[in-house]
Amino acid sequence: MKALESYFAHRGWPVLDFQREAWKAWEDGESGLIHAPTGSGKTLAAWGGPSLALLEGAGPGPRMLWLTPLRALAADTARALDRPLRFHGLEDAVGLRTGDTSAYRKKKLMERPPPALVTTPESLSVMLSYADAGQRLSRLEGVVVDEWHELVASKRGVLLQLSLARLRALNPGLRVWGLSATLGNLDEAARALMAPGVRPRIIAGRAERPVALESLLPDEVSRFPWAGRVGIRQLQRVVEAIDGAGSSLLFTNTRSQAEIWFNAISSVCPWPDRVALHHGSIDRELRDAAERGLAEGRLKCVVATSSLDLGVDFSPVDQVLQVGSPKGIARLIQRAGRSGHRPGGRARIICVPTHALEIVELAAVRERLRQGGTEARRSIRLALDVLAQHLVTIATGGGFRARAMFEEVRETDAFRELDAAAWQWVLDFVMRGGPALHAYPDFRRVVEEDGVCRVPDRRTAVRHRMNIGTITADGAMQVKFQRGGSLGSIEERFLTRLRPGDRFVFAGRILELVRIRDMTAWVRSARVRKATVPTWQGGRLPLSTLLADGMLALFQAHAEGRRPTDNPEFHAAEGLLELQRRWSALPTPHDLLVESARSRDGHHWFVFPFAGRLAHEGLAALVAWRLAQRRPVTFSITVNDYGFELLSADAVPLDERAWRDALSPDRLHDDILASMNAASMARHRFRDIARIAGLVQQGPPGRGKSLRHLQSSSGLIFDVLIDHDPGNRLLEQARREVLEAQLEIRRIDAALRRAARQRLAIHATERFSPLAFPLWADRLRARLSSEDWQARVERMLGTLERAARRPAT
Amino acid sequence: MNVELAGNRLQLRPDRTAWWPRRRMLLVADLHLGKDQVFRSAGVAIPGGVLDAELRALADAVDASGAERLVVLGDLVHAAPGEERAWTRRLGEWRRARSELGIGVVLGNHDRGLAPWLAEWRMENLGAVLELDGLRLCHDVDLDRPPPGLSGHVHPAVRLQAAGDALRVPAFARRGDHVILPSFGRFTGGFQGLDPREWQMLAVAGRGVRAVPGSGTSASNRDPDQDAGG
Repeated sequence: MKALESYFAHRGWPVLDFQREAWKAWEDGESGLIHAPTGSGKTLAAWGGPSLALLEGAGPGPRMLWLTPLRALAADTARALDRPLRFHGLEDAVGLRTGDTSAYRKKKLMERPPPALVTTPESLSVMLSYADAGQRLSRLEGVVVDEWHELVASKRGVLLQLSLARLRALNPGLRVWGLSATLGNLDEAARALMAPGVRPRIIAGRAERPVALESLLPDEVSRFPWAGRVGIRQLQRVVEAIDGAGSSLLFTNTRSQAEIWFNAISSVCPWPDRVALHHGSIDRELRDAAERGLAEGRLKCVVATSSLDLGVDFSPVDQVLQVGSPKGIARLIQRAGRSGHRPGGRARIICVPTHALEIVELAAVRERLRQGGTEARRSIRLALDVLAQHLVTIATGGGFRARAMFEEVRETDAFRELDAAAWQWVLDFVMRGGPALHAYPDFRRVVEEDGVCRVPDRRTAVRHRMNIGTITADGAMQVKFQRGGSLGSIEERFLTRLRPGDRFVFAGRILELVRIRDMTAWVRSARVRKATVPTWQGGRLPLSTLLADGMLALFQAHAEGRRPTDNPEFHAAEGLLELQRRWSALPTPHDLLVESARSRDGHHWFVFPFAGRLAHEGLAALVAWRLAQRRPVTFSITVNDYGFELLSADAVPLDERAWRDALSPDRLHDDILASMNAASMARHRFRDIARIAGLVQQGPPGRGKSLRHLQSSSGLIFDVLIDHDPGNRLLEQARREVLEAQLEIRRIDAALRRAARQRLAIHATERFSPLAFPLWADRLRARLSSEDWQARVERMLGTLERAARRPAT
Repeated sequence: MNVELAGNRLQLRPDRTAWWPRRRMLLVADLHLGKDQVFRSAGVAIPGGVLDAELRALADAVDASGAERLVVLGDLVHAAPGEERAWTRRLGEWRRARSELGIGVVLGNHDRGLAPWLAEWRMENLGAVLELDGLRLCHDVDLDRPPPGLSGHVHPAVRLQAAGDALRVPAFARRGDHVILPSFGRFTGGFQGLDPREWQMLAVAGRGVRAVPGSGTSASNRDPDQDAGG
């Protein structure tokens, strides 16, 4: 440890207690998890042990693996890991292998593996797919998984768990350490990295810096809109705030919002050339330019989405602004952490509410920051698509024995509950395409010879390697200027609805579509100012349970005449809460609010379970379906984070008894499947599953043509499976993912169980209450259709024809 | 749905075929037979049953129309047939069971290596185009200047969106005296990129074929029947 201390002394840093604790734990052969905020010395806490080992003895590598979720971060990380080693005279000890690494470099890395390797989960999987993987990775002593909180709840995390199990099988003494930001379930997250039975050592770094929350509260809340998502009316104050600081980061929740805010700011501010845009669909080079511009002080403001939530060496800015509610505490803390790294200083964040109820959300954020605690992130269970991919990966590499592999897979947290039948199905799927394919000798992906499962066909192996990973790129189309220059990518669904000549906003510019060819949208700059803004799938997170419950607690406080101290947001929102209480009632942890109202549109029922947007989608469909079982009625549905609306043409009188039945937690699973257009949702969900399980193949860029005869849409494959292999477990998985990930059935279940204990406050209102209004304004009719597709087509054509017959005005 | 193409009356049917009553001829396009097996050989686990379902659907379409002659407008197969391939044998058996039916095949871009097999199956090789009563029957055409006739290749499809619902369905596409057939094969994709101003989209809607309102509205594309009928 002397070596580490001298390095710290050389850099002028004190050795922190948690760093010393982590070094010691490594030396003792332990595995575990270190949690601390970004920029607090976590990296060197985890790297101390491995670097000492590397300094002590030479030997062929790789001996240490450092896994990072973003390949863009890998180069920065490799430099940071290299420094202490170089200081002690160990040169070129840290290599870098990601999807961006050239084939030549990868070959060099294979020939002379460096002692330590920085890589991504996908790249590790690719390494495991080479025939001599077992031998090459047999000298591994330790693995560090950086930013584990980003991976733990995703399929990338599942893939990583499987790879770790493989590495442990190769190296029984392997040490595994995770690095994470604060999570609500650190123990659970840590265990997902460990072998079964290993108690992870949890090491806490410096606590998160306290977050100083400030809100741009409107002067007169009564005039503030009750609904909306963009909040652009706060533009002037936002521009002033940016003007008053050296550098700012403005976070939005969606890419569309980022495009809108970027355009708005640059058209009214006095420094339009010093604003840049950064989001996940924008080309890497443009994003890098924005990051550099901010670091070098050339830019005054970068408008960003979660694309900037990560990044080790990203230099801190003077202030961070957040447009709209952060929807979760973890996200707020992470974003606030991007502001000024003054030692002992506070992380400052200025929140910009976009409508009145978001002020209450911010009040709940403030209370929660005071109490401490953040959201949990749970690892995904039994993702058979990922398992199928992993099995082919290992079969492509050294091969596996079925029995031993079953045991190995079951050692992961993600597949602890894998039973023999499901295992046999996946094995069958990769070997014979599934039970339905037994009669087809032409399918040979994985073949068992002398008890070892291998991929015998070289082309199959090459194609598989190109398709490793769980991030789906399909559905995104490149956007390029005709005269050259790439801008990024937009979802195909948006682009294919445009016609040549149509204008849209992207990467902060107004573009005109010239044509679509070779999966690329060719564009040129447009001179007009008006254009549509693309929407991206899956941009919006639902309000976290922690914050939703926080809001209910604040409503209760108001109902009881209490007033939390030092909560300016609450004070600002009191008028609104009072209005809600007078016109109707306030929902609380003990009272489920149900409102009814009449309008020109028809008869409205509003229900406010505060379970988040996704769960409300399922809840609304469930309740509508149950009510329709009593008597025929058609509802149109609207949902938001607070509740849902059922609108019908005729009055549907419902008493407490009827509501209790409709909100019963019994038979939830069956009823929700019956109520939703589950087939069509599952078909959509199947996109990723088909890609991950190898049913849809992606070629490398530029080589798409040679693989064209093998390309097919996942929807088509879904239909074929439904018709000819209905027992396919990947179909079942798609349905399960719809329930678990898309509708958050756990939250639905919890909301119904809570409702069963709550008092029902049923109120008929004269006009829309402050809680009901946003639902009314935000009407997005959900698809509630139990008809078959023929009937749906007939109905849609009928509607379109009626609309076409209507005289033009 | 009945259409008139250069003086010939044809019926566009919801089973994705076109029926030419005066010729007692049934037209289909883009079956892509054997595609599922090509996928399986490459290690993509597409279940069996696709081919049988396809051939059954084709037999049903022939029987339902009472056709004496079947003309395939290209892409009968997805890849070259081969003695050792199960689907090739199945197609041969299917043909032998219907020896009285006249079958002609216009060659499409996927039909490489098909010619010797057409002879084996006693199907007429029509080459690139069949001219009949002023109609050109071929696989693909210049989409900007389609001649009177029928073709395939494009796999037209249309996205319907109304009444809070959305769905993509296969469609016939019409421009002047030309109709592009939807792909007959179920395991083939659809293409939504035809210019909806120039092409009238006729959606395959379960029990019927129905025009999609708003499509094919450019002046050069007025349907004389509809103008007269109001």
